[in-house]
Formats: sequence, C-alpha cells, structure tokens
Amino acid sequence: MEEAIVILMLFIGLPWLILHYMTKWKTAATITTDDEVLLEELYNLAKRLDERMDTVERLVAADNPEFKPARIVADRDIDNQPLRELDRLLAEKKGTLR
Amino acid sequence: MNGERTTFYRDKQSAKLMGVCSGLEDYTGINAIWWRLAFVILTITSGIGIPIYFVLGFLASKKPAHLYVDRDEEKYWQRVRQSPKRTAREIRARFRDIDRRLAEVEHHYVSSNPRLSAEIERLR
Repeated sequence: MEEAIVILMLFIGLPWLILHYMTKWKTAATITTDDEVLLEELYNLAKRLDERMDTVERLVAADNPEFKPARIVADRDIDNQPLRELDRLLAEKKGTLR
Repeated sequence: MNGERTTFYRDKQSAKLMGVCSGLEDYTGINAIWWRLAFVILTITSGIGIPIYFVLGFLASKKPAHLYVDRDEEKYWQRVRQSPKRTAREIRARFRDIDRRLAEVEHHYVSSNPRLSAEIERLR
C-alpha cells in the first residue's frame, strides 16, 4: 500500500508540480524582444530631447537675460559638459559680431 | 524570446575564471565579489556551488563586445532587467520634465513677447 502511494507521488505528483510551476513561470510578465526595442527607442528619444531642450534653453537665455530655466535637478554634470561647449561657441560668435 | 540586452552573458573581460560572477554583476548590478562569495558559501555548505557555476558557464555565451554605447546605457539596461515597469515610469518622468521645460520656454515667449520689447527699445 505504501509503495503504491510513493509511486503515485513520484509519477503523478512530481510531474504535476513541475508542469504547474513551468506554466506559471511561462505566463509571468517578462520583456519580449519588441518591448526591448521599444524601451531602447524611448531611452534614445528621451536622451535626444533632453539634449535639445538644454540647447534651446541656453539659446533663449542667451537672447533674453531675464529668462532663467528652472530645473528640478539643477546643475548636473551630464548637462553642464555640452552646455559649457555651447557657451563657448556663443561667446565666440558674439566676439566675431562686434 | 529574450532580446540581446536582457539575456545573461559571461563577462570575460573582468572574469576571474569563466566570467559567470562578473556576468551576474553585469546582469543584476550587484558587485561580482558578493556573487563569488555566494558561490564559495554554496560550495562549502551544500556542494552545489561548483556544479551550478559550470552549468551557467557552459550554457551562457560570452558578452558581445559592443553591446552598450556608454556607461549610462549599461546602467539603464540593468534597471530594465531589474524592473521594466519602474524603468518605463522613469522614462515617462523624463518626458514630463522635457514637456515642462518646453512649456516654460513657450510661456516666456508668449507672455513677455521679447521681439516686441526689443523693437520698442530700438525706437526710443
């Protein structure tokens, strides 16, 4: 009698358990290749727009001294590096105009 | 099913043996030394550390050389692997930030009309 229970558990219970968790694991939320492409595009787009917005803000601030771009995260190094370059170019341009 | 940025790779460049632990560091963002320590402890306590290591080492392929452009992109994909939902929210926050800043520039031009004031200034 006990042997039968052990065999039943081994050949029905164990595969059942494994298959149950396999289906659960397969239906769990994972990223597909499409999601990955989408996330990559969004990342690049956000980065590009951020850089463009920095440039526009600097250009507007150069033309109108009263315009001060308000930032939540002000003075980030990642923004400052290309902005310094832009400032330098603007200064050069003003120098040649006069 | 997985794309090439969400699969697990062995990182041969900063590897000690096969690059499994440095690959785990690259995948999760948890320092490789903790993974190495975990494998050592697993081996000492239950003995399954070494088999797991070699199974991972033989199943995973090497990390392609130019998978990420820069460090920021690597960090970004690490966050995606940890929680895609949170990353999507972060991206949305970035877009909102850009939208807000653009609205500020627009508001400045609409409300103050700098070209008109410049013309008046010139006429004086």
